[in-house]
Amino acid sequence: MTLDHRLVVENLSAGYGERTILDGLNLDVIPGRITSIVGANACGKSTLLRTMSRLLKPTHGQVLLDGKSVHQRPSRELAQTLGLLPQSPIAPEGITVADLVSRGRHPHHGLMSRWGARDDEAVAQALQVTKTAELMDRDVDELSGGQRQRVWIAMALAQETALLLLDEPTTFLDVSHQVEVLDLLVDLNQSRGTTIVMVLHDLNLAARYSDQLVAVQGGQLYAHGEPEAILNEAMIESVFGLRSQVMIDPVSGKPMVLPIGRHRLSLGTS
Amino acid sequence: MTITQTDVLERVVTQRHKRRQGWRSIALIFMLILLVGFTLTLLLGQSFTPPLDVLRVLLGEPVPGASFTVGHLRLPRAVLSILVGVSFGLGGVAFQIMLRNPLASPDIIGVSSGASAAAVFAIVVLQWDGTVVTVFSVLAGLGVALLVYALSFKNGAAGSRLILIGIGVAAMIESFIGYVLLRAPAWDLQEAMRWLTGSVNAAQLSQAWPVLVSLLVFGGLLLSRRRDLDALRMGDDTAAALGVKVGVTRVMVIVSAVGMIAVATAVTGPIAFVAFLSGPIAARIVGSKGSLLIPSALVGACLVLMGDYVGQFLLPSRYPVGVITGALGAPYLIYLIIRVNRAGGSL
Repeated sequence: MTLDHRLVVENLSAGYGERTILDGLNLDVIPGRITSIVGANACGKSTLLRTMSRLLKPTHGQVLLDGKSVHQRPSRELAQTLGLLPQSPIAPEGITVADLVSRGRHPHHGLMSRWGARDDEAVAQALQVTKTAELMDRDVDELSGGQRQRVWIAMALAQETALLLLDEPTTFLDVSHQVEVLDLLVDLNQSRGTTIVMVLHDLNLAARYSDQLVAVQGGQLYAHGEPEAILNEAMIESVFGLRSQVMIDPVSGKPMVLPIGRHRLSLGTS
Repeated sequence: MTITQTDVLERVVTQRHKRRQGWRSIALIFMLILLVGFTLTLLLGQSFTPPLDVLRVLLGEPVPGASFTVGHLRLPRAVLSILVGVSFGLGGVAFQIMLRNPLASPDIIGVSSGASAAAVFAIVVLQWDGTVVTVFSVLAGLGVALLVYALSFKNGAAGSRLILIGIGVAAMIESFIGYVLLRAPAWDLQEAMRWLTGSVNAAQLSQAWPVLVSLLVFGGLLLSRRRDLDALRMGDDTAAALGVKVGVTRVMVIVSAVGMIAVATAVTGPIAFVAFLSGPIAARIVGSKGSLLIPSALVGACLVLMGDYVGQFLLPSRYPVGVITGALGAPYLIYLIIRVNRAGGSL
């Protein structure tokens, strides 16, 4: 796997029906890094991810992977380089963990090709990396939310793509499972060099786990850079319309956002 | 507990083999049941025909008595039953998988009704017969499928909206069929029943050809893309992420499933609920061991073949096969609607 697959968003506009959500957004994803897209609800961050992963067609502009538009490349070929974990994937009833993970091999097979040793290896490795090997004979419906999310990530890993996009991979998980999933993504990024782009709601986890933050506001790129460089009170105010205090997180040394609402404030804040 | 990479690999391979073995055994058992049923319907009708005589008839030898009962009555009936059963089973399960809902079967959402309405209209009002009727009803089936699809299209197709609109369209078409049959001059009840419930009465081997051709063309197309279809079970987004062209796959599934169902319907009439029942029965037995297409096709064939036998010989009076499958399917439909209402079930 190589680091040099380049995903670039050029002057991208997209939306649903008449409604424009993204409005001329530019973004250059840094290869081999973890990038998190943050922003207020309905700012266009999910739309951005969906358009980048060719689920949604842009109305203007384009998304380029290695210089070629993702919306024009052959679907299967693209799926060998660019993986995506959507927000709510559906596990077919009664499917086992190993079976679900093996579905990730789909883009590596044409009409005629048969399952091979290479496929079994990819599945075994994906199970191993995500620590779901013990679960492999279980039904996916029996698993807890955290386990299930690891299984879906395993499926995306079996796809063996150099880039992996994830749409809110930590929603519906409790805090320990959120951390577990994000740790797993860092493992993956470090061991395989996978470029990771995800939409995250939790700003503090985003700041801690990402090399790069992308702040989206009103369908446009507000800021893009390392968390230390762009995460500050002014940015939170403009992007989320929220007063806050940004401190250094003693655990990670990364910036941490403390929101300031109208109530429950001590004397130090005003 | 740590498992080594080789252990994991070994277990992955073992589980895969087990799944495949399981699928093959199930498919084999279905085929055996079908074969037994086929043999039985050839041997046993109003009277018993010795196996040797049946064999001689099949080989084309003239056998007094048996040539007529087996060659002209039982064989065409059994062959046609199997072919239309396979068509309904395949077409039904393809729709159910594509829309991830057992209620999305073509006979629930108006496709079968559309095809049979066109056939009735063509025969009764336009006085057509033969291939033109078949072609006309295939086109009508496709037209209804596209109409239902278009009416339910809003920010992408949604399963439940499509099903509700389909049920409404089906009801309208059913009443149209009733109207045409009512206005038909000297329309004998037997023929009318065929278009209301479906039957393989008076089957002829020549009727089997269009069904066989449509199965080879549409069924072949469907089977060749079964992996893409199977990926749709994980949701359209996940399938797209895995490199499936969702839109293309959808069109392919609609055209081939509607094609098969409409051709079968034009020949035997809408045999109630076979398309609707086959997939869920196959799913219950196969689980997730593999593709549901072939098992569902075999279940469909068994349902029609055995339903027809039951309707002919095992009840106090004779019923067309559609009445039997209808009696089987209706309670399941009610059960399903209750369950879907409660939990939002999937196939």
